[in-house]
Amino acid sequence: MNGVGRTHPLLRFAAWAVALPVAVLFLYPYWWMMVSALRSTREIMSAPLRLLPERLDLSIFSEISRIGGVELWRYALNSVAITGASTVVGVVVTALGAYALVRKPKLPGFAVLRWGFLVAIMYPYMLLVIPVYLVMYRLGLLGSYSGIVLFLALGPIQFFLFEQFFRAIPKEVIEAAVIDGASEAQILFRIVLPMAAPVTATVALITFLINWAQWFPVMLISTTPDTYTLPVALLSMNGELGANFQGIMALAVLVTLPIAVLFLLAQKRVMAGMAAGAVKG
Amino acid sequence: MSIVSKIFGAVALTAAAVVPVNAQQLTVWHDLGDNGIKWFEAMGAEYAKTRPGITVRSLSFPTDQWFGRVIGALNTDTAPDLIFNNYERVIRIETQTGKVEDLAPVLAGIADKAFLGEDDLRVAGFRGKTIILPIQRVQMGFGVRKSWLDKVGEKFPNTWEDAERVAEAFRDRDPDGNGKADTFGFALEAAKPRDLIHMLDLFVFGSGLRHTLIDPQGAIVVDEPAHAKVLEEFLKTYSTYRFVAPDTINHSFAEMYQVIEGGRAGMFRVGDWNVKKWDGANVLAGDFLVGPWPKFAADRDNAVVIAGMRGVAVPSNAPNKALAIDFAKFMLSKAAQQASLDNVGAAVRKDLDVSALSPRAQYFARAEGRLVAYDFPESIHEFYPELEAAYHRRLLAGIANPPADWKPFIAETAKEMRDLAAKLAKK
Amino acid sequence: MSAALGEIWRNRIFYLFALPFAVLTILFGVWPIVLSIEVSFTASATALKPSPTWVGWANYATVLADPLFVASLGRTLVYTVLSVVANVGVALGLAVLFDSTLLKRGNLFFRLAVFLPVVTPDVAGYVVWRWLYDRSFGAFNAALAGLGLPAFTGLSSPDTATLSLLLAELWHHTGFYMIIFLANLAIRDRALEEAAVIDGADAWQRWRWVILPQIRPALIINTVYALIQFLKTFTVVVVMTKGGPNDATNFVSYYAWQLFDQGRYGEATAMATVLFGLVVVLSLGVFVFGDREAAR
Repeated sequence: MNGVGRTHPLLRFAAWAVALPVAVLFLYPYWWMMVSALRSTREIMSAPLRLLPERLDLSIFSEISRIGGVELWRYALNSVAITGASTVVGVVVTALGAYALVRKPKLPGFAVLRWGFLVAIMYPYMLLVIPVYLVMYRLGLLGSYSGIVLFLALGPIQFFLFEQFFRAIPKEVIEAAVIDGASEAQILFRIVLPMAAPVTATVALITFLINWAQWFPVMLISTTPDTYTLPVALLSMNGELGANFQGIMALAVLVTLPIAVLFLLAQKRVMAGMAAGAVKG
Repeated sequence: MSIVSKIFGAVALTAAAVVPVNAQQLTVWHDLGDNGIKWFEAMGAEYAKTRPGITVRSLSFPTDQWFGRVIGALNTDTAPDLIFNNYERVIRIETQTGKVEDLAPVLAGIADKAFLGEDDLRVAGFRGKTIILPIQRVQMGFGVRKSWLDKVGEKFPNTWEDAERVAEAFRDRDPDGNGKADTFGFALEAAKPRDLIHMLDLFVFGSGLRHTLIDPQGAIVVDEPAHAKVLEEFLKTYSTYRFVAPDTINHSFAEMYQVIEGGRAGMFRVGDWNVKKWDGANVLAGDFLVGPWPKFAADRDNAVVIAGMRGVAVPSNAPNKALAIDFAKFMLSKAAQQASLDNVGAAVRKDLDVSALSPRAQYFARAEGRLVAYDFPESIHEFYPELEAAYHRRLLAGIANPPADWKPFIAETAKEMRDLAAKLAKK
Repeated sequence: MSAALGEIWRNRIFYLFALPFAVLTILFGVWPIVLSIEVSFTASATALKPSPTWVGWANYATVLADPLFVASLGRTLVYTVLSVVANVGVALGLAVLFDSTLLKRGNLFFRLAVFLPVVTPDVAGYVVWRWLYDRSFGAFNAALAGLGLPAFTGLSSPDTATLSLLLAELWHHTGFYMIIFLANLAIRDRALEEAAVIDGADAWQRWRWVILPQIRPALIINTVYALIQFLKTFTVVVVMTKGGPNDATNFVSYYAWQLFDQGRYGEATAMATVLFGLVVVLSLGVFVFGDREAAR
């Protein structure tokens, strides 16, 4: 279609000559991370370029089975639970909210709400430390899973994706239902939401990916490591008592691997969804 | 509606669930890592013998997280039962929250405390309160890789000249025999304000000087001849001498330890709390000697540096305060102190069994080296933290862009510090 | 008034739908920002107390008179501009390459390779980069030495630390901007290009006058996203440099965080407000500029 027939072999070669090194540079850190997880600190530091570990020794994972007095499995479970719950809450709340704001943008307060949301996502959130801490404290949510989950629930891309989808629903579809005497609840649950299944799946996936990586709010709202997720545990691994370099790399692998696999399984939906969500903003 | 109510129902439930209800569990927050956790487990087991049903749970945070957590928790009445850290850090908690319990009556009620000297008790006090019970003396010696010394045919360096020679050999003569020029003389740190000054403190106090920046009368000491010599050599160690890895300017504790434990540097700080880990097979496997810091002047004795005390404090809003105080007292008992020595490598009692310890751990446990303690300018000069921050910035700028001659740099720095101190003192 | 109330009542179901969203937005978005701004007008020592001492603009005056903050602000702006240009530029280049048919079936693989870091937890990525850069023990310098090239000072020198952070952040972010360009390129009108070919336009002319105008939306969106992203640069500093060496990477959000850590809440939140203002003004500026350009 795009003049394929005319591409010069030299041009093709040049394209590969650019793309291959780029791909290597982008993927090398992953390889290094995985290899280093299997090598001792001394080995990593004296031969950093080695492409394969000296031996296959997984004992490092038992070395990091407890971090800061909390079991590794608990961090992993927290990651899954917090990410999962915030995804469910986020999808439900955002879908309903975006739907209402799209259907009736002129209702008193709705424009203000939308603006409030847009402004909030622009705030440098690492500087919300004190106020969020105070808010959580006043709500009695400090140190609780609910506080973390609720804080993580909303995000810009998720909102824009839903907003864009609901806007694209032809007015006639809804008007026909209104004429048929359907209530608004029926319209939402019987007509709109079934149509929205694909976008909901996309939003859920993206929310999961984004929230898995979150560390700052989790650290901030937690009062003990009991509610830390894997990325926060990773940041907590170096202290004044020393750092287990190999352990850090092993944990980095644990943080990265599940999410990388999930992404690769659903790459099409994720990339299309993120692009669409962003373009709407 | 149902969704909303479910969400808030869940919120309310979980919120209720996080309020500590188990009165039989004491929670301690510290930064001592796995060894510290094992220590508190051991003490908890010992404590439960006389107080059945009571469990002790300790959580370890990286130091900077520990600060934030503790300050936040004390300010919001979500405090743990006990906090454990260096005295100067507990002082910071007290200045930011004012919620550290005065333990003076508790200390007065302890009969068995003859092992605590006047200096020990002095660091426990702040603004008329006794804010900690001193539990562990913090000693920091000078460590050298033994196998590296053997390889380059040197002995434990006693003077700075020795240390320089050894540093050069460690850097240039492949002491680990891996065929690469990837070793360094020293492992130090410089990143955050406290990091560089902390290293300077070791050189200064270790060489027998009494103050790093300012004396109790408010005089800036950095350009006094004896002091200026140490400072100049210290700065050159980071820059012109190339004794440290170039990335050291960006290194904090974690990276410094990585360099030490990765076997990339041969001379380093050894804290009493490091020994147990470094004796371990996967780390240094005991391949290091411990002694006093290098000697800079023939007429002044060098020493192991005492950075005060680690101690236990009780927040005034601790959920189980009475029990917490009781446990704090217990931490001075012989059994608890022995557990401290065995797990963390430090204690304050002198009647403990040290025979099971490695020679390196015994060096600290028996206090074999001559000891010199930190000064404590914060308690005399209110403006000290700001002055020190400026000093750090100035030194780091020098290290980043080393001057050809350090002497004028030091003279200028001293003048700048004098001006700033005068300005800050007036405020 | 009663008409408005009547309208609200008639549409109560929509208020119900919007309620959870509104609650979360207000509780965890708007309220903290208001509180933060409030704290910036109080004395730090009393900021967390029930009745803080109000000090007016004093914190702002202190902050703006602090040479370190002013330097940090300048540094942040320079870093942001460089990062936006580098990220959007690289993303555009890669998007054009991967949108072409030059790579045939390799396309998907390359897209995945560049996008994977976007979903990789930043903390894990930067922990790795930190050591790849190491002047003495890192893989990059080992590779350079192996190729007989001079060493890259990386994080060990104030001169290259900023560049090092920029490259690590580029690795993490550029894939995101790339897929936005790709999405935009995919929906462009290819008939226009064919028409241009018939009119005798060469590849560069087609690109400049036919394709580029069509991807203006993606360009504007990416620029705004990147501006917001890089003005707030934080995690990479926490993991890799702690603001060093010699303050070379001490950007505003990290500097403010440090002050917060020292209990200087008033000044920290004043800095946050300044940065927030900057984010809003610059983002709106790009939008308005982009709109006007488009309308021309």
